[in-house]
Amino acid sequence: MLADFLTGLQNALHPLNLLIMSLALAGGIAIGTLPGLTATMGVALLVPLTFGMDPASGLLMLGAMYCGAIYGGANSAILINTPGTPSAVCTTFDGYPLTKQGRADEALFTALVSSVIGGIIGTIFLMFAAQPLALVSLKFGSPEYFWLAIFGLTIISSLSEGNMVKGLLGGALGLLLATIGIDPVTGHTRFTFGFRPLIEGVTLIPAMIGFFSFAQVLSLVDEDQKYIAEYSPIPGVIGKVFSKLLKDCKNIILRSSLIGTFVGILPGAGGNVASFVAYNEAKRWSKNPDIYGTGAIEGVAASESSNNATVSSSLIPLLSLGIPGSPVAAVLLGGLLIHGMRPGAKLFIETGEVAYTFIIGLVVANLLMLFVGYLGMRIFAQVLNVPSHYITTIVIVLSFIGSYAIRNSLVDVVIMMVCGVLGYLGLKVGIQPGPIVLGLILGTIAEEGFTLSLLMSKAQGSLLSTFVTRPISAFLIFMCILSIVSPIYVRMKKSRKDKLEQNV
Amino acid sequence: MKKKFIVILMLVSFILTLGLTGCQKSEEPKNDDGKTEAKYPNKDITMIIAFSAGGSSDVQARIVEKYFKDEFGVNPIITYKTGAGGEVGFTELAKSNADGYTIGGLNVPHIVLQPLARETEFTIDSFAYIGQMVNDPQVIAVMKDSKYNTLQELIDDAKANPGQITLGNVGTFTGHHIASLKLMDLTGTEFTLIPYKGSADQIVALQGGHVNAIMGNLNDVMRDVEKYKILGITTEERHPLAPDWPTFKEQGIDMTSGITRLFAAPKDIDPEKLARLREGFKKIANNPEYLKDMEKIGQPAEWKDGEQVYEELKKETETAKKLLEKFGLLEKK
Repeated sequence: MLADFLTGLQNALHPLNLLIMSLALAGGIAIGTLPGLTATMGVALLVPLTFGMDPASGLLMLGAMYCGAIYGGANSAILINTPGTPSAVCTTFDGYPLTKQGRADEALFTALVSSVIGGIIGTIFLMFAAQPLALVSLKFGSPEYFWLAIFGLTIISSLSEGNMVKGLLGGALGLLLATIGIDPVTGHTRFTFGFRPLIEGVTLIPAMIGFFSFAQVLSLVDEDQKYIAEYSPIPGVIGKVFSKLLKDCKNIILRSSLIGTFVGILPGAGGNVASFVAYNEAKRWSKNPDIYGTGAIEGVAASESSNNATVSSSLIPLLSLGIPGSPVAAVLLGGLLIHGMRPGAKLFIETGEVAYTFIIGLVVANLLMLFVGYLGMRIFAQVLNVPSHYITTIVIVLSFIGSYAIRNSLVDVVIMMVCGVLGYLGLKVGIQPGPIVLGLILGTIAEEGFTLSLLMSKAQGSLLSTFVTRPISAFLIFMCILSIVSPIYVRMKKSRKDKLEQNV
Repeated sequence: MKKKFIVILMLVSFILTLGLTGCQKSEEPKNDDGKTEAKYPNKDITMIIAFSAGGSSDVQARIVEKYFKDEFGVNPIITYKTGAGGEVGFTELAKSNADGYTIGGLNVPHIVLQPLARETEFTIDSFAYIGQMVNDPQVIAVMKDSKYNTLQELIDDAKANPGQITLGNVGTFTGHHIASLKLMDLTGTEFTLIPYKGSADQIVALQGGHVNAIMGNLNDVMRDVEKYKILGITTEERHPLAPDWPTFKEQGIDMTSGITRLFAAPKDIDPEKLARLREGFKKIANNPEYLKDMEKIGQPAEWKDGEQVYEELKKETETAKKLLEKFGLLEKK
């Protein structure tokens, strides 16, 4: 093993491989930044290129592309309030307000550093704890996914502080949209109103592009400002951000990375769920939760470190069990098989050298990303110096192309536009897109978990033993209750305190 | 400076996205319908794949891609039209221009079952079949430490406890579903079928102990085969990739089943072009290099001619219809 490890290290640091990884990172960051072009697509595009390559270099290229794309989503989230990938939805909550305050540099740099740290922490787990974590991921059955989704939905309450009803409305709309299409259990179509192209349902990415990008463009046009935000590069911002991150965000980044690692190993959840959970936890444990959503560096750090931690950890079920835990992992599986590698327990024994090269390469890729990402950031930030009427035009074009490119389907373009208009109207009346997209993401997970659990309980003859008494389920139920009760408790305490003060 | 930057930004985004979406449609020199060209094919052929990049269907198509150019002298352009268990892509192929420059991958029994389950814009009669490339049979797998050692033990237990044994499937109205129904029908048992979203979820459920057994694909269980006991495989004879596994037939259950991958063109394709495609694909399918690649990715290659495929599809439609009616699953819409 040590020999394989050392060869892996040597291979990963080979100049040619470093070059390949840097290029793939740059490509990945560009793909991630453009809304609608996803990590899965980027990796899938590169797979045929690896046919003629040495397996190790090929895999390093794919890995670097994956890291870059997940990080890249943050750039557009921060600069134009448009998450480039679903994982970056939470990055918009604080990233865009920061841009509005003229602090885009800080936000961008925070996103980069947190992504790198998250990515490295995830990779360390992949390297040293893949087997035990893979076993944990197996413990997640349908009931656990159901409760995880319900726990995720409780996040709506903290996303929509101040106006619970509107938040819940948005969440309900998202859940409703998630039910359109083919019923996962009976296989019949529902809620398509006889319009056949809707059988696939409202796909997440076009909907997300609509609710964020398209709606954002409409409101930019509405605002009629010359520029999105004031922007001038601040000298010494790097040092400032570093010390801020070291001082205030150490725990947040560490916790978020661990959350990301854990959520990433679950085949049914991914970077999007991870960043929501991490963001919510960061807010919950914060001394002043009120700053979240108004431009908190902490929020950006939580979201970005957790989603990049899922990059490596989503490969854990793939590499140690042979089960592709995410769409990207499924594409990587194809790449591995073509190179004659069989993911699973024997991967490290039979092809240890390549496997270690790949894993060490992921660490190296993350470090390289610090430089490549920094260069990219400088370029992307210039967007703010472009008058907003150009930006809106470009974003509209990208929204159309991006939503079409997901499945080469015009239906998705229409879905994007409808969601965009809905999202714009929602913004007008104070319904944020966050809860809607959260409902859409979690609706399918919750429904499938619930219906399959019902079938399981039918076979077992007991609802209780399926839904409640399984240990992880019980824990998740506890978390749900905590998540609902704690804000109420905090508010009651606060109002009592206010009253006391008034009385005095 | 600013203007220049904007122009560059727009150019870059256009090039990137064009590369992703647009260029699949290469410039098509229009030729009049009916007239046979000098030589077919004389430009790239679009190949519609109904499942996402990286899935089994795609990996198989990518292997075909490797040999396609040598055989036909033109490139295949793989285009993904995914969604609804393949229905989106199948529909797209059925509605495509039958000029011989659009072909696509089809999966059976998907194309048989979807028109039965819901209203679709295609049936098995919408296609001209080139041939079958893969036959991935189903297996019943349990974990190594399971109490079941033979298929009979599992069936006996299911008989004694109707509805209490769970059998993991992938989806409803799919190959796994129909194979499970066949099994229940032939043996008079009642399993609780759990339809997972994909084979990955199904394998997790088995390994995590959330289901008692799964009706899975050979391709999916091969990857970690030492973790399972394979109680039976749905082939005529024992499978060359796994000669240790007993067939359903030798255990007294007279059924065969499998998910097969075909290539087809829209129905109205010119017979000469179809003949050329059939000849070419057959050559690819029998190329030893190709077969080696297929073994590498763990997909059981099995060539069948287009005519035979069509005949079998007609039969399969009849049996599937009867079976679904019997289980009351056809009271549609």
